[in-house]
Amino acid sequence: MITVTSLTKQYGPRIAVDDLSFEVAAGRVTGFVGPNGAGKSTTMRMMVGLTRPDRGDTTYRGVSYADMRHPARVVGTVLDARSMHPGRSARNHLAAAAALASIPARRVEEVLSEVGLDSAADQRTGGFSLGMRQRLALAGALLGEPEVLLLDEPSNGLDPDGIRWLRNSLSAFADGGGTVFVSSHLIAELAMFADDLIVVGGGKLLAAEPVVTTLARGEATVSVRTPQAAELGRLLERHGIDADCADGRLSIRDTTIADVSQIAFDNRIQVIEITETRRSLEEILLDMTGASAEFAAA
Amino acid sequence: MTNTSTLQTPTLQATTVHTDPRPRPITRQRSGDVAAVPAAVRSEWIKLRSLRSTPGLLGAVVVIGLLLSWILATFVKTDPDTHLPFTVGETFIFSTWLTTVLAVVMGTLLFTSEVQHGTLASAVTTQPARWVIVSAKAVVGFGLGLAMGVLGMAAGLGGAVLGGLETGDTSGSLATAGWGLLLTALAPLLGLGIGMLIRHSAGAVTTVLVWALVIENLIKGFAPANFSRFLPFSAATGLLGIKSAGDNAETLAAALTRVQDAFLFSGYIVLAIAIGTALLYRKDPN
Repeated sequence: MITVTSLTKQYGPRIAVDDLSFEVAAGRVTGFVGPNGAGKSTTMRMMVGLTRPDRGDTTYRGVSYADMRHPARVVGTVLDARSMHPGRSARNHLAAAAALASIPARRVEEVLSEVGLDSAADQRTGGFSLGMRQRLALAGALLGEPEVLLLDEPSNGLDPDGIRWLRNSLSAFADGGGTVFVSSHLIAELAMFADDLIVVGGGKLLAAEPVVTTLARGEATVSVRTPQAAELGRLLERHGIDADCADGRLSIRDTTIADVSQIAFDNRIQVIEITETRRSLEEILLDMTGASAEFAAA
Repeated sequence: MTNTSTLQTPTLQATTVHTDPRPRPITRQRSGDVAAVPAAVRSEWIKLRSLRSTPGLLGAVVVIGLLLSWILATFVKTDPDTHLPFTVGETFIFSTWLTTVLAVVMGTLLFTSEVQHGTLASAVTTQPARWVIVSAKAVVGFGLGLAMGVLGMAAGLGGAVLGGLETGDTSGSLATAGWGLLLTALAPLLGLGIGMLIRHSAGAVTTVLVWALVIENLIKGFAPANFSRFLPFSAATGLLGIKSAGDNAETLAAALTRVQDAFLFSGYIVLAIAIGTALLYRKDPN
């Protein structure tokens, strides 16, 4: 489990991270979302000691990153997939990292295989695509068989197959009891495999909750197509349900298909089509973070 | 539309409670960081040997040593100052000055290439005791400089022999070689310190080259010998025991002993690395 307490970082007059506190549970994938400039990368860098916080700290099961004897064996990090010497092969890149962390050299071959780069192990990373670099960076994070993965935008540059692979890998890691903390701007993608969300905006914590809770923030709208729209509208109103009517179609909020169809059935109203739509996680998060977005389209 | 002001107050995630049976991560003892140095040296060694530029540089040292001695033996033949013929005993060391400059450059790249390619962040994430990384780079740099010195001198010797020079007086050659090797071994450490201060490959390399080849010579041109003898590359020249064309009675009289030059050169190294290490702790790596 990761515990972030009161993390604060100010650059000049700008507060990049403002008193941020949250917990990331083990055995779950936790997404870290927010618009550009929300403070995600700064937060992640502070979590592993790359940026010194003005205040606050981060502990991993009670121990701060800098106090760990072998941090790479507890926390695997990918903060920038471009961080590799272009003239060095993938194998040597990992071998150097393994040596520094006193990790057995056999792990290099194992992680290369895990991320599907064994056939490119002796290629220089300068010739790697961004997707291959992401895989190599993830291999580096997995070297120490960590219990926590801290990943900043790991799906950048991955093709659909790579994204599916990443999704499955992270889910499997969490299913095995690992802690996954992953930032991504691909919210729809994140919604497919994240269990929890930490939402930030303007450096502040906006929400820390399970994805299902976030999804529940999106109001459901039941849409009914019927030749008796006006009559059904009146019946719904009698049940305390407001409905908008347009072009023979009723739009009803704060209700369910079951309730509406029951009312229609009980009153012999012919229903041609009845559907329920919910706002996507992306739309909900955009609403949540909209006011705090530093860079937004006009 | 929902906006942020209507959100519930965020709370710590309390919906999922997982009891983790694993023990707490092992904590680090600051005194135990020393034990991490050998692992860091292994890592630096892998980094160094896995780049094509390393054998390329060593090859360049050999070519320079061989060519310089051979050209002196074949075309120049006599010392323009003393008008005495060159001998193997004095010519083998001539390329060591260029080897030293290359070794300083190589030392800067040990650090700046990590900044340039973003691998410094990975390194300090893996090893939060940043001084351990600096120490490992210093150890590897020392070994690299030593290897460069040995190869350069061997190539210089080979070039002189191939050029048909007489052996000459070799009584002081062993001592000269020893001081020369000390210089080339220390040179990457000076480069490492400069690299840690400047943190930019092109900037650091340019600074080293311009300082060594231009600025120090300009300073020597107008500053008194009692001042210019304390310049870093003057100390390097002093360690080699090489007289340059610009030397006169005043500069020769003011010259420091080799031991003094060694301490002076080491002092510059200690200063540069100490400030560089302090900056490494203060500044966030990219």
